[in-house]
Amino acid sequence: MANNKIILEVKNASYRYSDADEDDYALKNINFTFEKGKVYAIKGRSGSGKTTLLSLISGLEKCSEGDILFEGKSLKEMNLDKYRNSDIGIVFQSYNLLPFMTASENIILSMDVSGLKIKDKKAKALELMKKVGLKKSYIDRKVLRLSGGEQQRVAIARSLSYNPTLIIADEPTGNLDKQTENEILAIFKSLAHDENKCVIIVTHSANVCNSVDKVYDLPKNK
Amino acid sequence: MYILKNAWISIKRNKGRNILIGIIILFIACASTITLAIKNTANDLINSYQSAYAKEVTIGFNRENMMKNFDPSKENSRENMKESFNNIANYTVDDIKSFADSKYVEGYYYTASLGLNSSNIKKAEIENDDQKGFGKPKDNAFSSSDFTLMGYDSIDAMNEFISGSYTMTEINDNAWDVAFDGNYAFINEELAKYNSLKLNDKIKLTSDDKDSYEFTIIGIFKENSDEEMTMFSNSANTIITNADAVINITTKNSDLKVNVNPTFIIDSYDNVEVLQNEFYEKGLDENFVLQTNEELATSGVSSIKNINSFVTTFLIMTLIIGGLVLLVINMINIRERKYEIGVLRTIGMSKLKVTMQFVSELLIIAFVALLLGAGIGAFSSKPVSNSILASEINNSNAKEEETFKNFGGDKMMGHNDRNPMKGMGVPVVSAYDKIDAVVNFKVLVELLGIGLFLVLISSLASMISIERFSPLTILKERS
Repeated sequence: MANNKIILEVKNASYRYSDADEDDYALKNINFTFEKGKVYAIKGRSGSGKTTLLSLISGLEKCSEGDILFEGKSLKEMNLDKYRNSDIGIVFQSYNLLPFMTASENIILSMDVSGLKIKDKKAKALELMKKVGLKKSYIDRKVLRLSGGEQQRVAIARSLSYNPTLIIADEPTGNLDKQTENEILAIFKSLAHDENKCVIIVTHSANVCNSVDKVYDLPKNK
Repeated sequence: MYILKNAWISIKRNKGRNILIGIIILFIACASTITLAIKNTANDLINSYQSAYAKEVTIGFNRENMMKNFDPSKENSRENMKESFNNIANYTVDDIKSFADSKYVEGYYYTASLGLNSSNIKKAEIENDDQKGFGKPKDNAFSSSDFTLMGYDSIDAMNEFISGSYTMTEINDNAWDVAFDGNYAFINEELAKYNSLKLNDKIKLTSDDKDSYEFTIIGIFKENSDEEMTMFSNSANTIITNADAVINITTKNSDLKVNVNPTFIIDSYDNVEVLQNEFYEKGLDENFVLQTNEELATSGVSSIKNINSFVTTFLIMTLIIGGLVLLVINMINIRERKYEIGVLRTIGMSKLKVTMQFVSELLIIAFVALLLGAGIGAFSSKPVSNSILASEINNSNAKEEETFKNFGGDKMMGHNDRNPMKGMGVPVVSAYDKIDAVVNFKVLVELLGIGLFLVLISSLASMISIERFSPLTILKERS
């Protein structure tokens, strides 16, 4: 009987760069399963392929071998633009916000790209900013004028803007102090536990690993 | 919609770069507008010249064909040739009407000439003078007559006046009202002086002393000839009337041999050969051929065609250089905006939509610059076009005045339906007094096409880059 809670499955996934030798894999035979309502951490040493795995999961790269299934459907068969702008939210260590836009413009752009049809997108953006602990007055502030922690909150708000069921975060607290890290982790945990989302955090922070529901250890290749 | 919104945000944030792109497109638009306007002006001039010279064909002897049978070594060869020449079947006015009834013929006019003597005036000549023959009609058929009665069927046919060979020196006020309807005549001033004739005098022309035909003098003309070696000009004994008057005389006296010279106005020089075959089928002797005025009509436009090809080359060079500069600026622009492309791709914006956003940015800038450029170019192109036209306008006005003068000056006024300018190599060129005459809808459409072409060319860089860029690589580079 299928487990309805499973949202993402990584099945024997391997990845080799196009210019690498035949047996030089960045990732080899990875098998992970992720469920809704939980926060996962993927840890590993530098060069273990954490970011590569995240790229595969987020559809930015394709598996050389094996497969990744989202809600039982292979990513190979999906429209990956649609997958990225509707089904998953991605949060990066370096935030990847558009610096010439305000906080709300970044969030609204994400809603626009996903094709979300709501009347007052700015109100929705404000609601999301409040949710991630940003002040109302930040709404029209250029993101470059926000601190690292505030930018990361905007990035999280952006990733939630179209209500995806899977949130993928790549070292989301890597540039932040301990207190801010804890606040961000609290947001992720709330999203998983209160809103039944699946949150996958790629990290090598022990603090993060200790706070999540499950940790996958990525073996070092070679 | 959000693509346009994003494009507008990007335009506002990169003011310096976009102003630079705008200035380049503005320059190209100005240059293109002026160039296109000059091209239009040049085309107008060419058309003006081509319409000034109606596409005409006349019937002439096929000398090459006739000379084939001429062998000077054979006995009586000259006599045989003369005989065969005289035996060529001539054509009549009815034949001309039949020839003109063709889909290739748009109109026709003709002259009818006849050799006659007179009972009340003397031929202008000096006894025993060597000039005999110079002052005579060209056709051998009239060699025994004193006068040539030349009938024109319309003003269009009066080539000698239009070209300036003949000029009216005296003319009755109502001359042009009656000239083509009845026995009225224009005579050479030398003949008038020789016989003490003046306006409204009557001259009697006779054929074989049997019949007499009376003509009233309504005008006196002179021949503008450079020939200084003769006492009398070639047309001294030419009496000009209308073609109907000549035909009426030949109808009454069938022994008289009339020489009819038609000119057909055709739709295209390309159809001359087909038309010639059609004439042969309708009975034209194969020793005749059709001759066109194409060489004359096209000779006047060669300098204008040179201007046209120069501005075309200039336009192409401007577009190539402008396109390359825009392409380079866009390539730099794309390199600067790789991160933005990476972010947009990561949040799920398709390659097509990212490309559309970048192209939209350029289109908005190009549209504004093209509008400004078209405006500036339009104002500049008016004086430029007029200065190019200036000499042609002066020529046209001078020629127009001269032609009216040849027909008797203000006596010609009020006969606008008989415009001698039309069809006779006098281009009617006027100055542009309105901008829209230079920069018309066609120019604007061409300019828009050029703008779109430039935008697409310069967008190639963004299209290719967006296709090639991996968002992950871009973001990694940034990190």
